[in-house]
Amino acid sequence: MPTETRAPFLRVEGLSKTYAGSTEPVFERVNFDLVQGEFVCIVGHSGCGKTTILNVLAGLETASGGNVFMGGREIAGPSLERGVVFQGHALMPWLTVRGNIAFAVRSKWPRWTAAQVDAQVEKYVGLVGLGAAIEKKPQALSGGMKQRVGIARAFAIEPKMLLLDEPFGALDALTRGTIQDELLRICAETHQTVFMITHDVDEAILLGDRVLLMSNGPRAGVAEIVRNTMSRQRQRATLHHDPQYYRIRNHLVDFLVARSKDLSHGRAPALPPVVEPGLEPSPDAAVAGPNVVRLKERNA
Amino acid sequence: MSDPYDADRPLALRCGCGRFHDADGGHADSAPATLQGRVESTLVKALLPNETLRRRFLKAVGANTARAAIASLLPIGALEAMAATPGPLEKKDLKIGFIAITCATPLIMADPLGFYKQQGLNVQLNKTAGWALIRDKMLNKEHDASHFLSPMPIAISMGLGSVAQSMRVATIQNINGQAITLATKHKDNRDPKNWKGFKFAIPFEYSMHNFLLRYYLAEAGLNPDTDVQLRVVPPPEMVANLRAGNIDGFLGPDPFNQRAVYDEVGFIHLLSKDIWDGHPCCAFGTSEAFIQQNPNTFAALYRAVLTAADMARDPKNRDLIAKVIAPAAYLNQPETVLQQVLSGKFADGLGNVRNVPDRTDFDPVPWQSMAVWMLTQMKRWGYVKGDVDYKGIAEQVFLLTDAKKQMKALDEKVPEGAYRKYKVMGKEFDPAKAAEYAASFAIRKA
Amino acid sequence: MSAVSAAARARLQSSLLSVAILVVLLVVWQFAAAPAAGTGNSAAALTAEQIEYQKLLGKDPAATPKNAGFPTLGQMGAAIAKNLSHPFYDNGPNDKGIGIQLGHSLLRVGLGFGLAALVAIPLGFLIGMSPLVYRALDPFIQVLKPISPLAWMPIALYTIKDSSISGIFVIFICSVWPMLINTAFGVSNVRREWLAVARTLEVAPIRKAFLVILPAAAPTILTGMRISMGIAWLVIVAAEMLVGGTGIGYFVWNEWNNLALTNVIFAILVIGIVGMTLDMAFARAQKAVSYAD
Repeated sequence: MPTETRAPFLRVEGLSKTYAGSTEPVFERVNFDLVQGEFVCIVGHSGCGKTTILNVLAGLETASGGNVFMGGREIAGPSLERGVVFQGHALMPWLTVRGNIAFAVRSKWPRWTAAQVDAQVEKYVGLVGLGAAIEKKPQALSGGMKQRVGIARAFAIEPKMLLLDEPFGALDALTRGTIQDELLRICAETHQTVFMITHDVDEAILLGDRVLLMSNGPRAGVAEIVRNTMSRQRQRATLHHDPQYYRIRNHLVDFLVARSKDLSHGRAPALPPVVEPGLEPSPDAAVAGPNVVRLKERNA
Repeated sequence: MSDPYDADRPLALRCGCGRFHDADGGHADSAPATLQGRVESTLVKALLPNETLRRRFLKAVGANTARAAIASLLPIGALEAMAATPGPLEKKDLKIGFIAITCATPLIMADPLGFYKQQGLNVQLNKTAGWALIRDKMLNKEHDASHFLSPMPIAISMGLGSVAQSMRVATIQNINGQAITLATKHKDNRDPKNWKGFKFAIPFEYSMHNFLLRYYLAEAGLNPDTDVQLRVVPPPEMVANLRAGNIDGFLGPDPFNQRAVYDEVGFIHLLSKDIWDGHPCCAFGTSEAFIQQNPNTFAALYRAVLTAADMARDPKNRDLIAKVIAPAAYLNQPETVLQQVLSGKFADGLGNVRNVPDRTDFDPVPWQSMAVWMLTQMKRWGYVKGDVDYKGIAEQVFLLTDAKKQMKALDEKVPEGAYRKYKVMGKEFDPAKAAEYAASFAIRKA
Repeated sequence: MSAVSAAARARLQSSLLSVAILVVLLVVWQFAAAPAAGTGNSAAALTAEQIEYQKLLGKDPAATPKNAGFPTLGQMGAAIAKNLSHPFYDNGPNDKGIGIQLGHSLLRVGLGFGLAALVAIPLGFLIGMSPLVYRALDPFIQVLKPISPLAWMPIALYTIKDSSISGIFVIFICSVWPMLINTAFGVSNVRREWLAVARTLEVAPIRKAFLVILPAAAPTILTGMRISMGIAWLVIVAAEMLVGGTGIGYFVWNEWNNLALTNVIFAILVIGIVGMTLDMAFARAQKAVSYAD
């Protein structure tokens, strides 16, 4: 497992958000880092503020407290460096697939020629496997196809970081599976840094290098950071054969079922521990607890 | 009007301040209205600048001698002739507004019969949608000259019912030619005393129709403001309103009286000539500003319209005229309706064929006494309040002298005098006693 | 039966029904308008004077009865044929063919409507994007909106002093409101997600206005334009009747003066058909910019 310390590409410090009219913050004392090239998932129950955190990272919302730094500089509003795939695909229905992606491409590179734009569009349309539908309008596409276009649009601007807000939530299981495979493949190709919200535990394990576990709101926080210790060359078809899979999966489900509630109302630690539940239990298990193998203090 | 040879009146000329002074230095309100007057006044003023001296001179030698004496020294005749000869036209393309009624026959027929072209004028006759628009288009100068109801130039010059702008009556278009038409259902109710509560339509407030109707009703003992309803309705809609029963009758212009008969919705109760034989109806006029800026054009217009009026007066020509003004571009009425109006042989709506050859006539002379009568009625009904300078306004607005001069130039017979007495429903009107006449009526505006 | 021919059959059915309704209306018209039997008196029963009287009323007893009321279908047909056979004749300022009159009206409508669009759409944009501006302008809009064109006409004539420009102004002031309100509504109701996409793509405000907001609001804006066009066409007829000169409204008024009901009805039919055509044009445009959501 790579343990070298790369400089934090994204740093979230002490983030908290209180909506107007309520007394308690939705979440508080949220701290985590993102390293370039890694795929981080965040998992938690509804109402814990995951989407809000994503919006803050995207620059679409401002936090009530705390800071977000990217590349050492504080985030101040939306940017082409942080691409977003929204929960509803947010495609513009009057534009074709080509048109939607070209709009994004031209926003990033306004001086490109038409030929350059077309090339970029076709490359990413090909990446998501929608070459045959490139001249169609969104109303002629299925839900899964629309979501793929949304992904292609986000990738096409080659952002430094990609933010995905439950992108597959509205899709059926079969389609979801297909697209997950594709996303895995794309990220392997492009080494994209990704921050993704998901409800699906299996998806988190398949895609994520690390999974942030959030406790319930109000006053939610990042309770734990789970490091995915499985091989990076994961395949959805063979994932469940890996013995680490169920260890990690059980850990996540246990958290969501019981511990997330126990740690609500501000009981989550400010500096969440990093755990590696996938690895075999060590002889220290008796000391540290059944599922926690190694505790690593977070680097300050 | 200022007569330079009148020893009893001051000689008024324009002053540098823009207003008129009499020669004593005070401000007068009228200036010589005609070319002849202007030429003569200027000459006399130049010769006898001192007002007192001028008056003493005239009293001593008499007006005619003075005129002859001055004429012998100065070529007044030649000057006047020069001034009166048709000079070059300042403006050839003119727009003249009209309402599609037979009252405007002279100015309408001058177009197809070529009288405007004869004078070198290129006239575009614009059929206008109503009297208010006729007024507005003259006020904003969209039209150069216009068909008016004869009281309108008086009202506009005095600022009644609109901004004040000096308008002038060049000729009267027609005399008589109107009628009181009632709905067929009233054919057994022809005594005006029984008309309380009736609804009548009139074409405009400042119209002879309004004044004549009010006079007629008042003679029958009805107060036109309280006992009946008078509504302003555009003439073509009068027939439709009669048919729909919205009004009981109207005093309106032809051809709509005849049209009501033709469409079998009404009958002709009384011709307007039976109220006042020889009453003026519509006028042909323009603004004082136009006259000042385009004197030659104005003279040419005069000649065209007077020629047409002269032709229209002859009964032999009436059939031709009916034919010529009937098409869509002008009156847009069936020819037989117009012929009945112009020839005076008509169906009256009650089963009778009547023959009244002078049902309508086209005497163009704008007698100033007519203007005085209109002013007395305006005072009577409260359209104008306070003291009225009857003669002053009449002489300013009705260009009698100009009309006579133009008629003379065309070798037409010119009647004498400036003020006439009239008989309206048996009562005599003396323009010299206008104020008393206006106050002499039992029924008037309170 | 395939889906396509089922749709075609439905259209055929509705067309047949329309034609049937039209035929029924025409038959009713013919019977209602035909002169009652016996109004033409036989010539033998009248004295010479009575005959002459009848002739003066346009009713020659020996000839066919004159129609005193609503025109019959035959007369309508003849009037339509006559008017349409020479649509572009010009007999001077007061008598022009129906084609020329229509041309004048359409020109005025085009100018007035065009001006209104030029003002309403940008202003509507502004109002839609700024609640402050909307609240500030709303009282003026609400007060001016219900004023009838017939009330605007005298004010316009008085201040503008030119009847042609007054007519165009009246069209402008009456047709500007639906476009303004609809544009504001369309702009303020653009889906938040699309605006969010534009934000994350750092789209500049002008580009956002033209490439995101405008296409998103276009169907609503075009609905407003379609309504405004209907109003403009309505207004021009009224305005021309008041002011006269040229135009289809003036044609109606001129024929009304002559109490020539046939030509008035003909003109009304023309007005209706042209209005329908204009509306259809806008409906097409509306369809072109609409999107499924």
